[in-house]
Amino acid sequence: MANETPVSIKVNGKEEQRDVEPRLLLAHFLREDLGLTGTHIGCDTTQCGACTVLIDGKSVKACTVFAVQADGSEVTTIEGVGAEGELHPVQEGFWEEHGLQCGYCTPGMIMSGIHLLNENKNPSEQEIREGISGNFCRCTGYQHIVNAIQYAAKKG
Amino acid sequence: MAVVTPKMIGERIKRREDPRLIQGLGTYVDDIKLPGMLHLAFKRSDIAHGIIKSIDVSEAQSMPGVELVITGAELKEFLPPMPIGTPFPSPDHYSVAVDRVRYQGEPVAVVVAADRYLARDAADAIVVDYEVLPAVIDPEVAMQGQPALVHEAFENNLAVPYVPGGTGFDAEAGTVDNSAVDKAFAEADFTLSQRMMNQRLAPTAMEARGVVAHYEPGKDTLTIWSSTQNPHILKTFVAALTGIPDNQVRAIAPEVGGGFGCKINIYGEDYVAAALSKQLGKPLKWIEDRSEAFQATIHGRGILAYVDICGKNDGKVTGLKIKLIADIGAYNMILTAAIPTLTMLMLNGTYDIPAIRAELTEVFTNKMPTDAYRGAGRPEGTYFVERAMDMVARHLGMDPAEVKRKNFIKADQFPFATQMGAVYDSGDYEKTLDLALKNANWEGLKAERDRAKSEGRLVGLGVSFYVEVCGLGPSASLPTGGWEYSSVTVERSGKVTATTGSSPHGQGNETTFSQMLADQFGIPMSDVTILHGDTGVVKQGIGTFGSRSQAVGGTVLMKAGDKVKDKMARFAAAMLNPNEETDASEMVFQDGTIYFRDAPGNSVTFADVAAYAYVPVPLPEGLDPGLSEQAFWEPSNNTYPYGCHISMIEIDRDTGEPKLLKLIAVDDCGTVVNPLIVEGQIHGGLAQGIGQAMIEEVVYDDDGQLITGSFMDYAMPRATDFPRFELDKTVTPTPVNPLGAKGVGEAGTLGSTPCIVNAAVDALSEFGVTHIDMMLRPEKLWRIINQGGKS
Amino acid sequence: MEVSGDHKFEAPRTAVWAALLDPAALKASMPGCEKFEEVGTNSYDLTIRIGIAAIKGTYTGNVQVVEPVENESYRLVVSGTGKPGRVQGDAKLMLSDEGEGTRVTYTGEVKAQGAISRLGSRLLGGAARLMIGQFMKAMEEQVARREEAQDAKEKGA
Repeated sequence: MANETPVSIKVNGKEEQRDVEPRLLLAHFLREDLGLTGTHIGCDTTQCGACTVLIDGKSVKACTVFAVQADGSEVTTIEGVGAEGELHPVQEGFWEEHGLQCGYCTPGMIMSGIHLLNENKNPSEQEIREGISGNFCRCTGYQHIVNAIQYAAKKG
Repeated sequence: MAVVTPKMIGERIKRREDPRLIQGLGTYVDDIKLPGMLHLAFKRSDIAHGIIKSIDVSEAQSMPGVELVITGAELKEFLPPMPIGTPFPSPDHYSVAVDRVRYQGEPVAVVVAADRYLARDAADAIVVDYEVLPAVIDPEVAMQGQPALVHEAFENNLAVPYVPGGTGFDAEAGTVDNSAVDKAFAEADFTLSQRMMNQRLAPTAMEARGVVAHYEPGKDTLTIWSSTQNPHILKTFVAALTGIPDNQVRAIAPEVGGGFGCKINIYGEDYVAAALSKQLGKPLKWIEDRSEAFQATIHGRGILAYVDICGKNDGKVTGLKIKLIADIGAYNMILTAAIPTLTMLMLNGTYDIPAIRAELTEVFTNKMPTDAYRGAGRPEGTYFVERAMDMVARHLGMDPAEVKRKNFIKADQFPFATQMGAVYDSGDYEKTLDLALKNANWEGLKAERDRAKSEGRLVGLGVSFYVEVCGLGPSASLPTGGWEYSSVTVERSGKVTATTGSSPHGQGNETTFSQMLADQFGIPMSDVTILHGDTGVVKQGIGTFGSRSQAVGGTVLMKAGDKVKDKMARFAAAMLNPNEETDASEMVFQDGTIYFRDAPGNSVTFADVAAYAYVPVPLPEGLDPGLSEQAFWEPSNNTYPYGCHISMIEIDRDTGEPKLLKLIAVDDCGTVVNPLIVEGQIHGGLAQGIGQAMIEEVVYDDDGQLITGSFMDYAMPRATDFPRFELDKTVTPTPVNPLGAKGVGEAGTLGSTPCIVNAAVDALSEFGVTHIDMMLRPEKLWRIINQGGKS
Repeated sequence: MEVSGDHKFEAPRTAVWAALLDPAALKASMPGCEKFEEVGTNSYDLTIRIGIAAIKGTYTGNVQVVEPVENESYRLVVSGTGKPGRVQGDAKLMLSDEGEGTRVTYTGEVKAQGAISRLGSRLLGGAARLMIGQFMKAMEEQVARREEAQDAKEKGA
């Protein structure tokens, strides 16, 4: 491909080096180049939050970041959060409280939930609702997602 | 039949689907990568209506990485028009427009390229020259044949010119006798009339559509992965259109990121991917962008009603006339024309209304076609009837709950043949109403509202009652067949593998169906695997829509399970008592063992019986080896779940902004297998109904340009838009299936819209307003507040 | 979408009016104009390259001057098609004296179809204002240049 730029991004603790087109979105870089398909894409205008990942600890919509912009940073995706047997409390909350149905928004929602709890260990229901208002879910009506994050907050 | 004490059914079991999904390990269609796979992109019409004068693909064709550029006219040579699933006359609808475009976003050409970025670049490089025709936008103008015809052969743009229904309609003779309806209106104490719009909506599954088609020339086989609610119908239709025999086509619905009705339809993009994969002999992928989804995935609702309701001053409603005009868009999709007929069917609501006249007209316009969207016709009917009942209460100064009670079909009237021709299976509406009023503290809420109003706040209460038609249905009610399919296999190890034709996309069938089989066989849920969504694995099926998974899919699963269980009981009996004639129906399956009812101390393990069935030495008399059975089943009737929703909203006097303060729902979906999942389904339905009532609307401008073409302009409900929902249930099992389950997937979308609009009208009653069309845009409410009731 | 505004020219009305009808001046003032060809009285075919995100692309179309009232006003009717979609504009320009100079007031409507309408509508107003601003500024230069030329011509004569 013409006009490629080298990037070096630490993804889920592993250093990844690739040559990418400058217009390649981070979301596509994660999905296509690294095969990390847990990061989903639900829109093309940065509203839905399905592609939310953490860049240097902050929740970011990976469809609004070019891979080249993430050069030199640390990215955490849903694949880097926790595995079966050692789930992250937010993942556990989603399972316990039926915080998902089709599962498409779930990885992004979990990443937003993690970021929210990193910033605020004991959020009120309203703070949780505001904290995830950048993430759309069409299935759940959000109530069980709120419960899931409350579960995780309680677990600490 | 052997007896088992239920243990799992009715329990709040967390889902077995979740571990993969919360770790990002689910495989959705865009996660599928095949060697040598190419990517599709569609050039779509920028205009709503016009004749294609020329298409210049030269630049696109010459771009590096582009394999093929093909226009609708070229595709037509080997791809016939798309089939539909309704019996109404329909214009030819090609996957890609041939010579004329009829809605903005209709495909006009296709690019196949090495990656999706290149494919999109090339599609953007195609230049189409149109002769622009006037856009047909307003359905009531369209019905006059103005300002143009969408299809030359459909006079006055009438897709379905006239369908009558109700009292005095003789379906066989096709005649209508108006005398009873006329008499009801002539003798009434009052008549109220209202035009009501049930606006267009975008279904908006979070995963947009997508397809991967892989034709293998050596075998003449096609495997097609698509984000669909019904892979078996996809297989049948794709086979028919591509000419590949249906026993050479395998359709797979991988993990599906939501459907809500919009993934029932088989779309042009599916057919094009299949046909071009066959032509090129290469795997192809197409993934829909969100902006494409707004333009080119079916819309929901879009039905206008003229409602006249009459009655007596004691609150008894004696007559109802409803004229329905459905703005169906540019073409018939798979179920398009049938959806408004469901609105008609349900126009009784939960009431015994002595005389009803319903009339339906369906109109072509230059918009994306409508089709099934969660609720599919029933929310519209519920909305019209419940708004009208609320107007009656307001007119008479009665409590709206009491007007409902007065007109309810009574518990002893079931099964009830409605004036609209449905047979409601079972119900006790008053019980549900009473529980809802109690849970809401209705009298207390009214006092709270009155107090708020006396302080100058605009607070209102709404109550609605719905009934829907679910568990579709006998085959007479569905052109694709109204049955479902399942198979159950007890493996050699004693683990159980079941297949189901109900293809879920978030409903949690793997969990509920495992619960059922665990109970049926007396084994742990973890020993059960449910397979679905792959026509190569699940031999037959219809699919997931019309809230039918549990009522129809669950029942047939149980039927297949029973067959295996019968045989297994006979193997077990032979092991326990090899020398005697035994009655297999006396066998009990419990805790992984099987024993005679009278001799629980003497048992064989489930796993040992399974092993024996596959190496049956000696082979019991009258038995063949193996433990695998299948079943087809269809219900004798639909089911009719119902419920009561109550809401409280407050409207900001200065800005007109509405805020939902409370939503109390009591739903009756019959037997509940997993309350956690049922609550999730109701929450989701409520969110979509509240979204419709308050913020969602698909808008086209006068030129047919889609104004709400992205999440910047189409208001998707967010977590902050909702209060905590307060749910409860009554349980009135249906007699039409042995489970007693009625279905719940769509319930929340029915009660919520009238409940909220009723509350908004109540909040603004001091301005003399009697009706507000959805959605409740603050500007609209502000005008009512500031202009004295003229919305 | 409605667009309106005004611009002050430091030149008399007759000079501004003449420049606003001069194909050469129009071509030179239109941002990104690559072709400007007279195809009839007060009717021109044009090609414009726009470099603003979301509406970026090359547009071909037509511009017509209609209802001209000398030194007073005219309507400019524009239509163009490009890869991002179609754009139509209809604007009325009105001239009035202001001190020694001339104020041009414009009011009009811009309609977009296709991707521009869906994704670029928010940018369209800003883009239109930006381009009109560029146009007016360039036209100011054209007016001045024409006046200089006129002066030179008169001097030379």
